[in-house]
Amino acid sequence: MTNGTTGWHVPEADLRAYARAELEPPLLWSADTHLTACAHCRAVLAEAAGPAALDAGWDRLDAELDAPRPGLLESLLLRCGVADHTARLLAATPALRRSWLGAVTAVLLLTAAVTVAHGATGTPTLFLALAPLLPLAGVALSYGPALDPTYEMAVVAPMHGFRLLMIRTVVVLAAGLGLNGLATLALPGYGLRALAWLLPALALTASALALTARLGPVRAPSLVGGGWIALLLSADAARAGDDPLAPFTAAGQGVSAAVALLAAGLLVRLRDRFDLSRGDTA
Amino acid sequence: MTPTVSASGLSLRYGGTRALDDVSLRLSTGVTGLLGPNGAGKTTLLRVLATAVPADRGAFTVLGHDPGTSRGRQELRRNLGYLPQTPGFHPDFTAFEFVDYVAILKEHTDRAARHREVRRVLDEAGLGDVRGRRIRKLSGGMRQRVALAAALVGDPAFLVLDEPTVGLDPEQRMRFRELIARAGEGRTVLLSTHQTEDVAMLCHRVVVLAEGTVRFDGTPAELTARAADRVWSSAERDPGAKAGWRTGLGTFRNVGDPPAGADLLEPTLEDGYLLTLDGADTEVTA
Repeated sequence: MTNGTTGWHVPEADLRAYARAELEPPLLWSADTHLTACAHCRAVLAEAAGPAALDAGWDRLDAELDAPRPGLLESLLLRCGVADHTARLLAATPALRRSWLGAVTAVLLLTAAVTVAHGATGTPTLFLALAPLLPLAGVALSYGPALDPTYEMAVVAPMHGFRLLMIRTVVVLAAGLGLNGLATLALPGYGLRALAWLLPALALTASALALTARLGPVRAPSLVGGGWIALLLSADAARAGDDPLAPFTAAGQGVSAAVALLAAGLLVRLRDRFDLSRGDTA
Repeated sequence: MTPTVSASGLSLRYGGTRALDDVSLRLSTGVTGLLGPNGAGKTTLLRVLATAVPADRGAFTVLGHDPGTSRGRQELRRNLGYLPQTPGFHPDFTAFEFVDYVAILKEHTDRAARHREVRRVLDEAGLGDVRGRRIRKLSGGMRQRVALAAALVGDPAFLVLDEPTVGLDPEQRMRFRELIARAGEGRTVLLSTHQTEDVAMLCHRVVVLAEGTVRFDGTPAELTARAADRVWSSAERDPGAKAGWRTGLGTFRNVGDPPAGADLLEPTLEDGYLLTLDGADTEVTA
């Protein structure tokens, strides 16, 4: 194969195969790229192909040029084996945008820095209190009309609303939990105590989603987030000395696990409610 | 002819507001206009028929599919194209990417076939040259066409368009009417609009909605005929008219019950519409 700019040209046999749509990758990709820049090869192709085949070839090339170029997140998902249509859906998720992920990262770094500055004694309460709220917020922002401009169109699409919600939730939760996990690495002095945010994060997220079916995508996570803060404040008032707050004790972790499981079960039972708008946008 | 859409007794309340009250209608192939003032319930009716929100009472089917069940709703949505009142777009998407995204929501999972369909609908909407342009760089009229293209993905049998020409300049509105007229060939289209001109130019049937109830359901000619012998010209504003305004010729055009000997005028669809709304306290003076 030769290149138009330095004397290279696509062999005529390959151009004939290209015209018949029989040229395979990677030769096909090379021919696609070369033809956009080489008038000589385009002329040879025009002679080799009949008008219909040539038009079909240009249509195919146009289609490839029109095809959306995957961004960073989408490329990463494709490399992980996610189907291209699912990756495309996820690329449009508000809480997977760089701005949101950047903000979450900044908050986590700041919180971890404050915690480290206080020294590794007891439990990292501020970090543990805040960390579960971030994945909750991320999942809440992935669903509903507040930040999804195509919400109305998604509601009336054949794809079941619950399926779209779950696809987004899994990835947003993974991203949120991943960032939390990385921030936890900045707190080695606390050992496993620094991971005590994980089960509350799952419990808060599952509860908010289950309540969304009844209360809507704004009230449900707001209620759950507010409930978490209220719980922590009352636990702080009730504790003796520097004991860990109740939600971060072994018993508290058990309760979080139970709540997460129950809420997940309820969410599955209520899945059909996510196939309709709640009318909040009326 | 079996109607595409058959709705009976649809009612819906939002809090203390009765948005729809016992609405029944049947839609067949062609473009049906849905006229009504602000707050009439047009968007609510469209959202119910598009299965975005469930009605409190009543039932409807689209192509025989009942949205009351999950399977029926899914089948209905496979035959549905919906253009909401304010279509939203992801800020960074190109026209192609946005329609591709909607096509995925409509379960077009095969990439090559999906992209062919996306290009088809973009070409049909006259957007072949701007496929790769970011939506935020398109004019308002072009954005509406992108939204219409998305609604046309999958060649749906039932198209629901909520005020698609609002905010468009006259030329854009004319172009959009061409698209809607083409879309209505062999398809059932329900077009909500404030513009009586849209109805006059596009629709073989018109439904007038006010305060959540159907006030008229018939042809545009029948709606116009309601104003027969009830439109007249006068030199001064006629206090007895239900609606009256000064025309560009300096005379007043009045709609209502003309006095004896009045100089009667040929009624328009708008006149019939105004008289139909008369019971809904929408007196218009200018």
